Amino acid sequence: METLTAAQASQTKKRPKKTKTNKRSFLKDLIQQKYLYLMSIPFVIWLFVFNYYPIWGWTMAFQNYKPARTFGEQEWVGFDNFVRLFHDDQFYLVLRNTLAMSGMGLVAGLIFPILFAVLLNEVKSMPFKRITQTISYLPHFVSWVVVAGIVTSLLSLDGIVNDILMWLHLIDEPIQIMAKEHWFWGVVTGSDIWKETGWNAIIYLAAITGIDKELYEAARVDGAGRFRQIWNITLPGIRSTIMVLFVMNIGHLLATGYEKQMLLGNDLVSDYSQVLDLYALDYGIKIAHFSYGTAISMFTSVVSILLLFTANGLFKKFAKESIM
Amino acid sequence: MKLRSTQSLSLLTLSGVLLLSACSSNNNNDEAAGNSASEAPSTSSASASADSGAMDTTPITFSFFGADASPNWNNMQDEIGKVITEKTGVTINAEYDIASGGGENKIALMAASGQYPDIIFAKGELGKLVDAGAIIDLTDLIDKYAPNLKKLIGENTNRLKYSLDDQSIYSIPTNGGVDQQYFDATGGFEVQLRVLEELGYPEIKTVQDFENVLKEYVAKHPTTDGQPTIPLLLNADDWKSMITVTNPAFIATGAPDDGEYYVDPTTYEAKLHYKRPEEREYFKWLNHMYNEGLLDKDTFVQKDDQYQAKIASGRVLGLISQEWEYGNAENALKAAGKHEYTYGHFPVTLNDQYQDHELVSAGIDFSGISITTANKDPIRTIKFLDWLASDEGQVLLNWGIEGVHYNVENGKRVIPADVLDKKVNDNSNFMKTTGIGLYTTFSMHYGDGVQDSTGNYYTTNFPDQIIASYSDAEKAALKGYNATTWKDLWPTDLPVKEWGALYNMQAPTDGDYQVIYQKTQDIIRKSIPKAILAKPEEFDKTYDQFLADLDKAGAEKMESIYTGLVKNRVKLFTGKDIQ
Repeated sequence: METLTAAQASQTKKRPKKTKTNKRSFLKDLIQQKYLYLMSIPFVIWLFVFNYYPIWGWTMAFQNYKPARTFGEQEWVGFDNFVRLFHDDQFYLVLRNTLAMSGMGLVAGLIFPILFAVLLNEVKSMPFKRITQTISYLPHFVSWVVVAGIVTSLLSLDGIVNDILMWLHLIDEPIQIMAKEHWFWGVVTGSDIWKETGWNAIIYLAAITGIDKELYEAARVDGAGRFRQIWNITLPGIRSTIMVLFVMNIGHLLATGYEKQMLLGNDLVSDYSQVLDLYALDYGIKIAHFSYGTAISMFTSVVSILLLFTANGLFKKFAKESIM
Repeated sequence: MKLRSTQSLSLLTLSGVLLLSACSSNNNNDEAAGNSASEAPSTSSASASADSGAMDTTPITFSFFGADASPNWNNMQDEIGKVITEKTGVTINAEYDIASGGGENKIALMAASGQYPDIIFAKGELGKLVDAGAIIDLTDLIDKYAPNLKKLIGENTNRLKYSLDDQSIYSIPTNGGVDQQYFDATGGFEVQLRVLEELGYPEIKTVQDFENVLKEYVAKHPTTDGQPTIPLLLNADDWKSMITVTNPAFIATGAPDDGEYYVDPTTYEAKLHYKRPEEREYFKWLNHMYNEGLLDKDTFVQKDDQYQAKIASGRVLGLISQEWEYGNAENALKAAGKHEYTYGHFPVTLNDQYQDHELVSAGIDFSGISITTANKDPIRTIKFLDWLASDEGQVLLNWGIEGVHYNVENGKRVIPADVLDKKVNDNSNFMKTTGIGLYTTFSMHYGDGVQDSTGNYYTTNFPDQIIASYSDAEKAALKGYNATTWKDLWPTDLPVKEWGALYNMQAPTDGDYQVIYQKTQDIIRKSIPKAILAKPEEFDKTYDQFLADLDKAGAEKMESIYTGLVKNRVKLFTGKDIQ
């Protein structure tokens, strides 16, 4: 107890001193590295113009925005647009779909690439490894339009999936998979896995290469088998990479775009395929209700930032690591 | 966030484009108005009633945006374009929307940014620009500077006015021909020519006839070229579901096309056409077709390309669509010489009570071309548009240059065989080099079947030529029905609609209307397929639920707003007093 307070006291004593030195050294650094700072100015401006200046447009969310009027003439409506948004049943429907699909994508996008990278790392034949890696990330470059076409054909009544299921006698007659609304989230996640696993595995493969080979040798000397080595060396070795990617992806939970859903979806599954971005497009820009569209995307941005900070805070607390 | 940055990027691109175009200006409208006012007297001796002969031909460039794609646009470097520039001094710097865009997003961004082209063909998005105050009133300009346009408009001035409350003329209707006569029908229900021939040209008037024909043929020929024959195929991919799934419901029950609405011709009450009891019967019939196994099981799942591929394989016996909708697939069949797999058109109705109203005339009521507040010389612009609408202009745009694209023989305009061959078989290259067909959106013009003072048709579409374009198989089928064109099977002499074509009427962007409309659209899109795919005994329950959902979303409020608009429109168009 005593030692603890003593330690705390010493810490508080130290702190102001520390910040002072920090400040002084920052000024010193600034003068010393003035050219570096000068060189970064254009990019700071670029960031400001493209990422911060547009935030000014959020004011539209609190107006009944009319294109013809100047800023001073706009009618201010306070939180009306948000009230409307939170009273719309459809909003909760699209929010549910967005969260469900990105949640599934988040989990699958974590497990499959890691699994794939670890397994590929265990392959001894170099040519096979290279060829597999190249083939597996190629789908990343195929546009969603084409992927949607392939998936729809594969899952159609006379598609290969139904053929295999029939052949295995698992089903009596072909199933119209794309018409089953409860399966839609699965179809989206599945196609996402097919398209992105190889590409996302690259970063984990790179992280694995960075692990000290001596660790494996030492483990082998100690009699660790393959699975032991994976569990005790490979996975802990790429832990921080996994963490960083996971936290960053949580920040993107609500902003997943709508290409997949729009291209794979059809009228029969629309209750499960509509997502936030599509909703903002349909009920905002398309019908010239700019303020409402702005309110929706403002909501998305704010929630995304909150998610990111929460996730990061939790990791900081429990895993003692942080990306910020 | 993502949406916002995409939007600002597009805005930036858009403004970049506008800045680059020589014509976009930093003058504001006041200056433009001042300009034109002071210019009017000073433009040479041209009096107010100036004929096009005394036109100012100093070079000028107008920027333009078109809401329909125009893939063959050649920056006026085509043969006609050069003549237009030579005669009027005008160069058009055009930008078009891509694919089936319709200008929706692009024009919404224009309205939000205030960056407009000089001239715009805005189609259904005109309302957004008018509400943004971007479009100038053309009434006085037409009156003073456009004798040819005045002649074309004739007594229809009221039909050009925007609304009862705002009687300005914001656009010159160019997306259709004045006094157009239909020489052929390309809609209705379609049946493959081989089916007609084998069954001995049976009568096809009701959906029951249509069903029997398909059923009989598929029983005889369950496969086509080794693949299963598909009796009936529809396309439900995005907006095309309107064309092949929902619009036929009113076509088959004798109502004219008023977009998503049906208007009672006596009370002018507008309601969503799905609420008509006879249309419920039509969807019930589709439900029956599905449960009988006649309607293709992939109908509501497949994408447009899969639909077209099925038609191009020749195994689809029947369609319910418009020729332009499946035209690409049919052209593939024609190119492969499989003319017996192409389609004939029939005005099929739910039962004998109804008449197909597809060919009813809506009078002059088309989307058209508008001048924006960014235009610094509206007088020059209206004179240019007027020149295009002159006899000289119309003949140039439709026929081309005399001695090059057509000859006059014994007072008749004739297209030489080699030119015609290029026009029919290599149309996109033909358009690109000659420019014929590229400029119709710019000019108000007469439709097919109207003759000029020399007794020649203004356009190049007339009966002889249409019959000449039929294949032998098609001619044989028509002979089987004692007809020369498919149009002969359609009823004629239907009364002109008093309210024009409602899909051209701009609804207010303010208030709840648009939101409710969008909601009902979402409900329609998902409920109609559900009703069609339901078990027969569950159809009524599903359809009742659909109608209840519509009202829950506020359909009644939307319909009453729309009824008000329709009544105002009839008042405006006809001068009748309606309560």
